[in-house]
Amino acid sequence: MSELPNFWRTEIWHPLAVHLPLVLLIFSTLFSLLGLIIKSNMWSTVGRVFLFIGTAGAWVSIYTGKLADAIVVRGLCDPTVLEAHEHAAYWVGWLFTGASLLALLGLNGKLLKIRTVLSVVMIICMLIGSAVLVRTGHLGAQLVYQQAAGVYTPSADCNEFSE
Amino acid sequence: MKRALLPLVVLVALIAMNSCGEKTAVVESGIYQGTIYKVEPEKTEIYVELSDGRILELYFTDQTVLTKKDETVEFSVLAKGDTVEVQIEKIGKRLDPISVAIKGQHE
Repeated sequence: MSELPNFWRTEIWHPLAVHLPLVLLIFSTLFSLLGLIIKSNMWSTVGRVFLFIGTAGAWVSIYTGKLADAIVVRGLCDPTVLEAHEHAAYWVGWLFTGASLLALLGLNGKLLKIRTVLSVVMIICMLIGSAVLVRTGHLGAQLVYQQAAGVYTPSADCNEFSE
Repeated sequence: MKRALLPLVVLVALIAMNSCGEKTAVVESGIYQGTIYKVEPEKTEIYVELSDGRILELYFTDQTVLTKKDETVEFSVLAKGDTVEVQIEKIGKRLDPISVAIKGQHE
């Protein structure tokens, strides 16, 4: 009789970690863009807060992804998808880290004259980052839904779910 | 300050590109010779660079046999720069190392 594995296994931390930064980074891009277009300090501030939390979350996601990598890769039929997912994730991490640094520079009172330039470059980084983020998520979904990465497959008779 | 922006963006791009890691190849089942490019002990994983520059990413399985001078040795013996002969089975696009024989060790 097969036994149901513990839910809180190492490879589960990655899907638990990725979704919050994914949402925050996409919305940080939208809010920052909106703030720049309509010249609203409120939207820009919300965008920055989402950016900082989302960027930190992105690196946590990369760390948990590295932990999951070693466990799931041996069961994959096409590990090149995992490799592409990992590379794209690093791009996301660095692009939004760059955007965060630019956002911090923009907070410096001495740089008021070039604040708009900083914001434009920051948003370019964020837009590219968001596009790569969508691709990263798509590759992650392919790993789960096409290759069952980290997914437990119940036995045919579902014996492990019996009391 | 405007002048500082370009180097900053270039720096971020360079770091990003550097973090992209190795582009690995998928090859057919067979025996290959190459040099160990990288060892990841915590994943029992090695990267082997072939003579044509392609890099193979190999995760050891429970069945992988590692030898040196026809004797079984521990994974910890492997080091960057060692020359190895690997027998690979391609399953889907996954490369399972059946055997890894150390032919020469890097000093």
